[in-house]
Amino acid sequence: MSEATRIEENVTCLGCGCACDDIAVVIAGARIREARNACTLGVRWFGDGSLPGAISGGRSAAIEDVLREIASLLRSARAPLVYLAPDLTCEAQGAAIAIADQLRAFVDGVTSSTSADGILAAQRRGRASATLGEIRNRADVVVFWAVDPAASYPRFQSRYAPNPVGVYLPQGRRDRTVIAVDVGAQRGPADADVRIQMTAEEEQLFLASLRASLAGRALGNQSIAARVTELATRLNKARYSVVVTDAESPPSVPSGRADSLIALTQSLNATTRCSLCSLRAGGNRNGADTVLTWHTGFPMAVDFSRGAPRYTPGNAAGARLAHGDCDAALIVGNTNAIPTVVREALGATRIVVIGPRASESTLSAQIRIDTGVAGIHESGMSLRLDDIPLPVRAVLPTPRDTASLLDALGSAIAAQGASA
Amino acid sequence: MTRLRITGGAVHDPANGIDGDVGDICIENGRIVASLPADAPTLRAGGMVIMAGGIDIHAHIAATSVSMGRRLLPEEHALHPVAAPALDDGSIPRSGTGGTVPSTFTTGYRYAGLGYTTVFDAAVAPVAARQTHAELDDTPIIDGGFFALLGNDEYLHRQIAAGELARAKDYAAWILRSTGGYAIKVVNPGGVELWKRNVREVKTLDDPVGSSSVTPRRILEVLAGAANDLGLPHPVHIHCNNLGVAGNVAMTLDSMRALQGRRAHFTHLQFHSYGGERGKSWSSAARQVAEYVNSHPEVTGDVGQVMFGDATTLTADGAVEYLLHTSTGRKWINSDIELETGCGIVPYSYREKAAVASLQWVVGLELFLLSSDPWRMVLSTDHPNGGSFMSYPDLIRLLMDRAYRDEKLKSVNQKMLAGSALADGIAREYTLNEIAIITRAGPARQLGLAAKGHLGVGADADITIYSRDADFAKMFSTPRYVLKAGTLVVEEGQLRRAPAGKRIFVKPGFDDTLLRDLGKYFEAYSSVRLANYPVTGLRDAPVPTRGA
Repeated sequence: MSEATRIEENVTCLGCGCACDDIAVVIAGARIREARNACTLGVRWFGDGSLPGAISGGRSAAIEDVLREIASLLRSARAPLVYLAPDLTCEAQGAAIAIADQLRAFVDGVTSSTSADGILAAQRRGRASATLGEIRNRADVVVFWAVDPAASYPRFQSRYAPNPVGVYLPQGRRDRTVIAVDVGAQRGPADADVRIQMTAEEEQLFLASLRASLAGRALGNQSIAARVTELATRLNKARYSVVVTDAESPPSVPSGRADSLIALTQSLNATTRCSLCSLRAGGNRNGADTVLTWHTGFPMAVDFSRGAPRYTPGNAAGARLAHGDCDAALIVGNTNAIPTVVREALGATRIVVIGPRASESTLSAQIRIDTGVAGIHESGMSLRLDDIPLPVRAVLPTPRDTASLLDALGSAIAAQGASA
Repeated sequence: MTRLRITGGAVHDPANGIDGDVGDICIENGRIVASLPADAPTLRAGGMVIMAGGIDIHAHIAATSVSMGRRLLPEEHALHPVAAPALDDGSIPRSGTGGTVPSTFTTGYRYAGLGYTTVFDAAVAPVAARQTHAELDDTPIIDGGFFALLGNDEYLHRQIAAGELARAKDYAAWILRSTGGYAIKVVNPGGVELWKRNVREVKTLDDPVGSSSVTPRRILEVLAGAANDLGLPHPVHIHCNNLGVAGNVAMTLDSMRALQGRRAHFTHLQFHSYGGERGKSWSSAARQVAEYVNSHPEVTGDVGQVMFGDATTLTADGAVEYLLHTSTGRKWINSDIELETGCGIVPYSYREKAAVASLQWVVGLELFLLSSDPWRMVLSTDHPNGGSFMSYPDLIRLLMDRAYRDEKLKSVNQKMLAGSALADGIAREYTLNEIAIITRAGPARQLGLAAKGHLGVGADADITIYSRDADFAKMFSTPRYVLKAGTLVVEEGQLRRAPAGKRIFVKPGFDDTLLRDLGKYFEAYSSVRLANYPVTGLRDAPVPTRGA
């Protein structure tokens, strides 16, 4: 018997932060059979769509009872943590943040472990940026700074830059100059038109010299002078350049890269136009930062313990857990994507997991509730790495909707009285 | 509460010709009704002043740009933690942060606490409208809507260049329909696209934007025409070229003349009413602008008053923010957005001792005080650009209390004020009814909101009740009672309830042959699929358009 096959068109993929929204998902027999247009990461992201649907660890199997049990576990904690793991819709992220506020908890997510440098630098300096559609249509010089998107952002080059035809680049790739900047082992794309290489140890001096050169100062006879001059010249001559950096891959030797690239790209706007594009990984990470920002004014590491948001990026989830500062944790989302530093520090904490495959999580959680994955089993909003909001749509049923479940948990917490 | 009679207050309802008369206001099921049974609950408002809920026609509270601004300002938010209010309606109250760009929940609570019940976000990139709706969902109490940015949209420019004006109009309708927007916004027409091309100055309304047939003038004409042909309740909402630049009054008046005879709204006119010469001298040109508006009934405006203290400049006008960044040395965000628009953000402080800030403060007050028709020149600070919405009560005091204003005038930098009308002395003091006009009745009329801004039968029961106080700033900063759609949200000056507000949007019709051409354009150039562009799931009913 042949199974009925349906195709869901224009599905948004959260396999990385590029959030390609042109995926055709082929479904038969309640399984994903194919994710057309998807890259290898995307194929992995969609998988076959199968999910467990269990509730485990509670004294009762009835969801209302389990939510009450979680509520009292969290309310009895002295210093609870609410942790936003990836693979959530913005709606689920918002519901989790509301719970943190209610509990006077500490709320954080993966960003503080993986991408804090760029965010803190942008809080100090601002940033000159452009959305991916703008880059696609306008950028005539594309600098890949210590990143080859082919590995972690496979469709970046074909969808955004340098390959597509743009309004102001009618010949697509041929109208653009691609510059690969290799920093030690962090290499730019192999097929770049220009390659500039430096060791990881040279990066800091290179960036400083590049900015000095652009400001019109002499470089003397430093060994990097010729390379700096070449890049400076090309950036100066560009109509609209973009510098692409991987916000998830810090330099192997501390170089001030995040700060320097912001300062570089901002200052180029004195004479030409230039933007910085910071790549982010998948699972709606930028969504977590942004939703937390509109709820609290801060993008990560927010402490509600005094009854209003406080920003503690220097004492984020990993550090707090390591110091034993959190005695219970509500982890929402995909626990497989939690950075090691946080995962290992979770150790002895009492843990509740609400998220896709919670029942299979390797964390030693007391209570686990399986929900769905944003954009596969759950609908809502996500944010692309460039702050463009995109719809995500359930193509398969969810065991239970994360956002609704968290709203119900919020009500259960409220029903047990205001937090002390 | 389904029924309530408010008795004994002095009613200021200029839309219905009521100027301080004592009378009852009857409320049933969220609306104002003619009468109620004798046993209906009563709220005694003897000695108090009753107005419709305030309406902010132009603020920045819910957009990707606003959240970028929020993210940029951790140091400001750290200074302004805001605890959750003590609500007794069963909703879970939320903490937040204040400052010039408060968090969303705090924004909703604070507007309601000031007696404002309707707010429009003035600049939303259409492609990012989905986030605006999500942020408005998290902005309690107030009814909210937004204006969609169209003046630098590449597809629109393309239609103008090709002479496809019907398609340009259809596109404007499609954008509003797809985004759940309320009105068409134009920011620095053509100038944001030029900034992306590294052209930093628009010298005249006839400067070419790529094609010689696309100019700021044509963009204004086409979008003003589209708004009027579509029968939108609010006309095209215009932020002119050359914001904040000395001598820009010439461009402002040219823009007004370009649209002479057509309905148009010119926003934050204070920032566009400067005499003098770029890079050389500054002076007030408020009188020229006020005189033009006074004598052209088709024109409406809001002031965009500058208030001394901290602000965050946050606009789709990317070019101007680069200038501000370089002149102040303060941190700067620029974001060029998807061939549609731009965004620039720079934190800023207006200081009494600074010559330009003092001039700006004076220009705004002159626009208010020289305007002969308060219905057409309404209150705004372009929050958070000229100052926070939290400064509205102080602004009201400046308008109502000449002694206070004159005293304040003495403390500001006088360098650029010679010859200005305010420096020469303006005796005018706004009356309570005029305040009601510039903060509720006028914005409602400009926005075409029939059920708002007044207290007649059928109006939304959005009502603010003030205790009288000789200090008008105090009176307007702490309303005694605020009702939103009939629910008492503020009682005895305390926020008690936080119901969700409604969304205000339009759904104009368009000729769907547009979609064939637009589909090809999206296929060729967009980073988002056409099918994923429209916002879906808006629950409230749209405001009707005349063209629908």
